[in-house]
This record gives sequence, C-alpha cells and structure tokens, in this order.
Amino acid sequence: MQREEKQLDASLDALLTQVGDLKNSLGSFIYKLENEYDRLTWPSVLDSFALLSGQLNTLNKVLKHEKTPLFRNQVIIPLVLSPDRDEDLMRQTEGRVPVFSHEVVPDHLRTKPDPEVEEQEKQLTTDAARIGADAAQKQIQSLNKMCSNLLEKISKEERESESGGLWPNKQTFNPADTNALVAAIAFGKGLSNWRPSGSSGPGQPGQPGAGTILAGASALQQVQMAGAPGQQQPLLSGVQMAQAGQPGKMPSGIKTNIKSASMHPYQR
Amino acid sequence: MEAPPVTMMPVTGGTINMMEYLLQGSVLDRSLESLIHRLRGLCDNMEPETFLDHEMVFLLKGQQASPFVLRARRSMDRGGVPWHLRYLGQPEMGDKNRHALVRNCVDIATSENLTDFLMEMGFRMDHEFVAKGHLFRKGIMKIMVYKIFRILVPGNTENTEPLSLSYLVELSVVAPAGQDMVSDDMRNFAEQLKPLVHLEKIDPKRLM
Repeated sequence: MQREEKQLDASLDALLTQVGDLKNSLGSFIYKLENEYDRLTWPSVLDSFALLSGQLNTLNKVLKHEKTPLFRNQVIIPLVLSPDRDEDLMRQTEGRVPVFSHEVVPDHLRTKPDPEVEEQEKQLTTDAARIGADAAQKQIQSLNKMCSNLLEKISKEERESESGGLWPNKQTFNPADTNALVAAIAFGKGLSNWRPSGSSGPGQPGQPGAGTILAGASALQQVQMAGAPGQQQPLLSGVQMAQAGQPGKMPSGIKTNIKSASMHPYQR
Repeated sequence: MEAPPVTMMPVTGGTINMMEYLLQGSVLDRSLESLIHRLRGLCDNMEPETFLDHEMVFLLKGQQASPFVLRARRSMDRGGVPWHLRYLGQPEMGDKNRHALVRNCVDIATSENLTDFLMEMGFRMDHEFVAKGHLFRKGIMKIMVYKIFRILVPGNTENTEPLSLSYLVELSVVAPAGQDMVSDDMRNFAEQLKPLVHLEKIDPKRLM
C-alpha cells in the first residue's frame, strides 16, 4: 500500500512537470503566433510544432512507464464545493482557478469527451468497422509505402544538396583528378607520348610468367656481369645506398638487401 | 678441384617473389599542406624527404599481343645515386576482401647507361614524366605525395608542365607474396587520412 502510494506520488510529480513544460511551450507558441505573425517563418513554426510533439511524446512515455500505476483505476471525487475564493487553490493553479465551485468542477473533472466529439468518434468507429479487415489492412500498407517513398525522396534530396553545398569549401580531393593521375602513371594517358587508346600499345604490362621474369632478370645480370665485372662492387654499393632513402619507388631497406642477395648469383 | 665457372651453372632457385601492395588517391593543391602536416604526425619521425624523379617507361613489343613494360627512374636532385629499374606485373584480381591492389614487383638498381642498354635490347620508350613530391615512411609502408609533370619536348626535363591541379598520393608496401595482413594495416592507415584523401584500390584497367 505504501509502495503504491509512493509510486502514485512519484508518477504524479513526473506528470506535473511534463504537463507544465507542455503548457509553457504552448504558451510561447501562441504568443509567437499572435505577436510576431508578420515576421514568422515556416521553419520557426515547424520548430515549435516539433517541440510540442516531442513533449507530447515524453508525456506518453511517462504515462506508459512501468512504474506508473494505472490512473484509470483512480477516481477523483469532489468532496466539498464552495463558492468562496480559495487562496490555496489560487496559488496551486497559478491564479487560473480561484473558486472550487459548481461551474468549475464539471469542466475540470470531466472524463467523457464533449457530446459532439463523442458523436464524431462513434461515426469514425462505425466507418472503420464497415470497411472490413482486409481492405483496412491494404489501406494501411499503401499508406506505409507512400510514407516510406516520400521519406526516401526527401533524404536523397537532402543528401545531394548537402554534398553540393559542401563542395566549394570542404572538398580536398577531386576523384576525376585521381583517375587522371592514376591513368597517367599506369599507362601514360595524357603524357607526352600519348597514343590513341585504340592501339594495343599504351603500357598494358605483359604477362610473362615467373620464369620469364627470372630469365629476364638473370639475363640482365649476366650481361652486366659479363660486360663489366668491375661494376659489381658499385652496383652492390648502389643498392646499399638505396637504403638511405632513394626517392621514388624503391622498397624499404630490408627488402632491398634480400633482393640483392638473391638476384646476384655471382655474389661470393 | 675447383668449382665449375659460374657462367655454366644453371640459375635455379628463384628470387623471393615480391609483391607490391598499393593504395592510391589524390589531394588538391590547396589541401596539400594539411595532408603533409597530418602525414608528418602519423609517420615515422624523420626529416621530411622530397624527391625529384624522372621516370621513363619502356615497352618491348614481342610476338605476344601485350608488350613487356619496364620502368626506369632516375633522381634529378641527388647525384651519384643509381638508377632504378622496375617491373610491375598485372594486378592480382579475385579476392574482393583484399583492400589493396596487389601485383608482382621486381626492383633493380642499375648504372647510368640503362637507357642505352634497354634500347639495345629492343625496348622503345613509350612515355616519360617527372615526379616531384614528398616521401614518408611508416614501418614498411611508404607514402608518396607527388605531382606529375608532363614533359613537353621528349628528353628535355627542364620544360615541364603539371598534369593536373592535384598531387597523387600513393601508399605502398613491398612484401613477399602471401602476406595479406599487410593490406589490413594499409587500410587502417588509410582510414586515418580520411577525409583529406580517400586512398582506395584503383584498377588501372578500368581507366583505359
């Protein structure tokens, strides 16, 4: 019993704060509409609506919270009605309800909606029941599909415009340039000896198997060795020098060493 | 009994098959400074290294349809440094999970008469360019940021004009075949350079 009372108190407090926030934002929105209507912009109105919707959401969440007891089970009964001014009530309601009397009570403690509203709601429920489950399901599905299509279109538009907006100041690379540079390096596109791309020439590297590479490399060695045995020393030292950071596409020092060791069959 | 002369011994046992793992991207001239700063922070601590290279690409047209390509590179700003001859194979396709372009790679240091030698062998120069830029290292990874200059008069490396308003950025590793974790390391490093540069594997065949 104690626990339930505590829970009730806690949830009532939460509800009060939420409703208070909602009231404030509604108030500011109304003020904005009434006083600044000539300079009001659509985004500003949307902001207010978004704020209200957010607050209603949190209100719903608070109500659905597991710690909230079912308010439906609670009943509020007016115990004393008096036509006198009640200071306490005034204070609590911020001056809105000065008297707890016969006129005030039906409005404030009402649980049923207005008769007109009740009529409309009954009408809607009979219409819905009349359509039948299948047709209703189909309508729901088509509505969902249209909403998702719309959302997609909007997000795509947003993305495209965003990238367009960022282009002038934030773009640090140009993909077209990347492709042009890579093509130039790979097969000389755009460089001095440019050939029409129809010919088989432009730098398609050949497909010699590993054996041919070896033959080619060793052939190079052999020719060089045969031609200038004295050159072996400077060649090796050249390779060592390469470690010190020769510019260009030289691999790192360790790999170079391994290469030189294995590709010089005449090394002592 | 002395060993038979070396020239008669068959060359068995090959080289270690080295593969080059490559990621490429580009950066606009105006964003070069920020990229250099970031690379200086990320890479190994060393004096920033610049290079000015002249690269010539030679083709040997044989009976096969596709010619054999060799790349000869020489340094224009450092004296006494050997020339660099490189062979690059076809990029290995197939593994979509591999994040870098992988191709067979053979690198050789040569003396200065390389061009004459290649011409005698039957190679013909296909194109040439000048590359000027910066070199960074991180472990076994090498990062080059360079601008490609077109040579207007063949053989005249003074008269050049830049090919585009961007610098090419290359992240490469030369490693023995089969080490695919290298490409993971490369991708992690490439992530750190985003959004300045998008390093990705670009298939040159697509750009033909």
